[in-house]
Amino acid sequence: MPQFGFSISQPRAVNLDTNDFVPAEKLLRELPELQSCIACGSCTATCTAGNLTSFNFRKVHTLVRRGEYREAYEQMDKCMLCGKCRLVCPRGINTRAVVMKIKRELGDYQR
Amino acid sequence: MGKQVVIVGGGVAGMQAALSLKARGAEPVIVERGDRLGGKVAGWHKLFPTFTPVEDVLGPMLQRVQEAGIEIHTGAEVEALVDGGVAVKGGGRFSGDATVICSGFDVFDARRKEEYGYGIYDNVITTVDLERMFNEGHVATVQGTAPHRVAFLHCVGSRDEKVGAHHCSKVCCITGVKQAIEMKKLFPAAEIYNFYMDIRMFGPGYEELYRRAQLEYNINFVRGRISEASQAMGGKVQIKAEDTLIGRPLKMTVDMLVLIVGMKGGASNASYAAGGLVVADNGFMQPLDPFCGNVLSGKEGIFYAGAVTAPKNIGDSLNEGSAVADRVAEYLKL
Amino acid sequence: MNYYDHFVIPFVVGTAFMFAVIVWKWGRWLWKLPVADKKAIVRGVFSLDTLRAIREVVYESLLHRKIFRVNPVLGYMHMSLAFGWFLLIAVGWIEASVVLGTGTPLHAHVFFRYFDTAQHTGWNPFAFIMDLLLLMVLSGVALAWFKRMRSRALGMKRTTKHVFIDRVALTALWLIFPLRLVSESFAAAIKHNGGFLTGGLGSLIAATMDSAVIETLNSLAWWLYSFALASFFVAMPFSRYMHIFTEVPLIFLRRYRLHSTAREKSFDNFQIQACSRCGICIDPCQLQNVLNINNVQSVYFLRDRRYGKLDEKVADNCLMCGLCESRCPVGIELNTLRLNSRQKSIDTPALTRYDYLQGIDRSSGNGKVGYFAGCMTLLTPTVLRSMERIFEAAGEGVWWADRDGGSCCGRPLKLSGEVNAAERIMARNKELFAKHGITTLVTSCPICLKVFREDYNLEGIEVIHHTEYILRLVHAGRLSVEATGQEFTYHDPCELGRGSGIYEEPRELIRMAGRLVEPEHNRREALCCGSSLANLVIDDSQQSKIGSAVTSELEATGAATIVTACPLCKKALARDASVRVADISQVVAENLRVAS
Repeated sequence: MPQFGFSISQPRAVNLDTNDFVPAEKLLRELPELQSCIACGSCTATCTAGNLTSFNFRKVHTLVRRGEYREAYEQMDKCMLCGKCRLVCPRGINTRAVVMKIKRELGDYQR
Repeated sequence: MGKQVVIVGGGVAGMQAALSLKARGAEPVIVERGDRLGGKVAGWHKLFPTFTPVEDVLGPMLQRVQEAGIEIHTGAEVEALVDGGVAVKGGGRFSGDATVICSGFDVFDARRKEEYGYGIYDNVITTVDLERMFNEGHVATVQGTAPHRVAFLHCVGSRDEKVGAHHCSKVCCITGVKQAIEMKKLFPAAEIYNFYMDIRMFGPGYEELYRRAQLEYNINFVRGRISEASQAMGGKVQIKAEDTLIGRPLKMTVDMLVLIVGMKGGASNASYAAGGLVVADNGFMQPLDPFCGNVLSGKEGIFYAGAVTAPKNIGDSLNEGSAVADRVAEYLKL
Repeated sequence: MNYYDHFVIPFVVGTAFMFAVIVWKWGRWLWKLPVADKKAIVRGVFSLDTLRAIREVVYESLLHRKIFRVNPVLGYMHMSLAFGWFLLIAVGWIEASVVLGTGTPLHAHVFFRYFDTAQHTGWNPFAFIMDLLLLMVLSGVALAWFKRMRSRALGMKRTTKHVFIDRVALTALWLIFPLRLVSESFAAAIKHNGGFLTGGLGSLIAATMDSAVIETLNSLAWWLYSFALASFFVAMPFSRYMHIFTEVPLIFLRRYRLHSTAREKSFDNFQIQACSRCGICIDPCQLQNVLNINNVQSVYFLRDRRYGKLDEKVADNCLMCGLCESRCPVGIELNTLRLNSRQKSIDTPALTRYDYLQGIDRSSGNGKVGYFAGCMTLLTPTVLRSMERIFEAAGEGVWWADRDGGSCCGRPLKLSGEVNAAERIMARNKELFAKHGITTLVTSCPICLKVFREDYNLEGIEVIHHTEYILRLVHAGRLSVEATGQEFTYHDPCELGRGSGIYEEPRELIRMAGRLVEPEHNRREALCCGSSLANLVIDDSQQSKIGSAVTSELEATGAATIVTACPLCKKALARDASVRVADISQVVAENLRVAS
């Protein structure tokens, strides 16, 4: 299983002092409800793609919110946009829009 | 003859309010929609966090109510608030110099979370069903077997935008821990899993019980909410969740899935709203303020006590029963 | 004779400019058409389709029959302007040809009353007809004016907010006919060549003004009239009035079976520029009438797209429920255009995407009938259970494609614009279906149904929705439904009803089980539950607001059960319902008659 967000050459800690939050803040401005995520994991549990691959929606959007954008685009590309996650989300997050937005915003970010 | 106070609801808050008011010389009248006193507590088996049998709490209370000679009307469902009292279904009125609303909460209907399969699959039950089984002294799967694996799911009907509930029902965490332990006691060989988003142990002795559940009873706590259930072979239930601490989807088959259902505002709250009282966004009644006005409705002569204003445990409801007597006494100049 | 005066210059230049632009636009669009479309045109030109197209042009472009059906007053307004003006031109041409002879330049026809050489004595039938027509057009202009001021009076709650170039063209258009009236009246004052209207006014002018003044004002009026025409013609190809001419080729091309597709092509231009921005699409839109979102409706979407100002927030904010498409008097393929603009803005090459699906097969069971629950159905276990019972009761051997999880059908991706990626998922699913040798594919999800039918090209496999499948079982005597005294109401899912034309099957099944009470909006007019996967913008509270509005309408029927046939609709409606919400399969499964 690929270790998303981690490799030998990268420092281990999520460094909130140095991370660039501009793209994350833009995402949250457009989809403020994403801040209400309580990390219950329902989205990932029900995820059609997540049950076939290492894709973990909850983890990817959390990393993005922490200013960790590496591989976010590639990960989100595994999503089939089926919308099950949106149906089960107890916070009513527009998860499909989060996927689209992350892909649109981070497509060329630090790739 | 003292001043009459109409008490809507004969659960623990209502009974305590009646007892305290009687002690102050008022004449409380309990108007109860069910056929007996005791409210939701009466349907329970043992109480958290001490595993005290319900009858040890309710029994003495009921006796005191009886001894105090408090007027009780069962089978009387309040339909509307009227001037100086309440009107009940099928005609009839109860009048008093003050009204205390203690009609409590409703249990969330688990059928509304269709993906969990309550009412569709065998062996998907709620905490309420499990207490009934405890009371009946027979806990088993629909197939009549002893469960080897049981999963409890926290926050069903609480903290869930999809059922219009933003609030935390407060007592379900500890209920889930209590019932998990009780199941383990009944079936020592069984594996018990609690699926949770947050464990909120707000009361005295609660966190300690949680710790005991982990250490002494080997209850497995998995941080992740179950997204859906499906029927597996032999009446088993397959559940899907994410183990968020690992970050991977998790699947397991259990003999029994217990949905820890939350509290929601009582259906009768709509009739109070029609009578000029305020229902809060969460569906419970809105007290004047959450501090010194916690038992005041904002409308003269009408008071609240217990879970009608928010999810509460038994202790809090009893306290409000006493507190409301204070404020009613003040109002009636007893 | 020359029939020239300086004032004709603006008109002549404007007209030439307009036709040059139109020819340039159409020529470019036609040139850029894909080869298949060009072939279709060549095939179509010499077929009966051409005659049908001509008839449709008369009905729609001139008479505006469809608008008449939606709203008679609006219909009259459009007809009086379009047909009225057309007749003014046609009759005017004949009159000018009769009087001036053939071979006269265009402006001599248009400004005929100015160049009129005939000696008029007594009643002139041409003048009478022309005045009558002018009056008709003027009444249309007056209505248009009134509609701008008070749209409600004409049965439209909201009218389109227009861009600058539209306002220029609109102002010019409104001025053309009053100015024509004034010019022709002055001409009539001098030449006595008017009918009851222009002639009457002309006599009045002649009686009240000095002849020198009349001469000056006459010249001025014709200049203004010519300017108004020129302004309109110059603005026209860039404004919404481009629809006047564009609708005509659109009708022909449509008759030749040209359609827009999930990927943009130049045919789209004919559709986009055929939009008259009448705004009929605004009122039915639930985003407008429930959520008060006022800038995303089809009229604004097409406008923004046409001017290259399409914002993804506008393109993405549409339920694609198809309600506006069913009302559009021009018959523009609004959903497809919405989709292909998303495709254009977000689709990326999908070289290896979804390769992970390769070889994945979580299916179970065996049978010629395949059942594809769909992602959403996995969250509505009542539907799954009911289908299990139905298959069992009918003794059908079933291959379960995705009961234990599987792939998505690809339509959600397609609706979001990722058409390339969606095709990769589809290819994988096709392999899976082929591998298991099914001949019928039943699905419970109308979203899946639509994509299986329209995009999969499943040769040798018939794709049907479970409503159709269950009804067939009943008709074949393999299943029977017990009649009960229950009352049901039915919610048409967009993708099943307007999307796939399945209206009667669920109703027939419901009537077997009990009584059916129709809600206010049903069949083609049915409302969307709000949870449509096609909308990428609205948030949860907005979805739920649309859903509860629909739920209350369904509850207002008094029926004890709301029935629908889409797992997503079921979830959306159940959120706020005080009565039971059931899938059609559930209604059947609960009321199966046990074989004696």
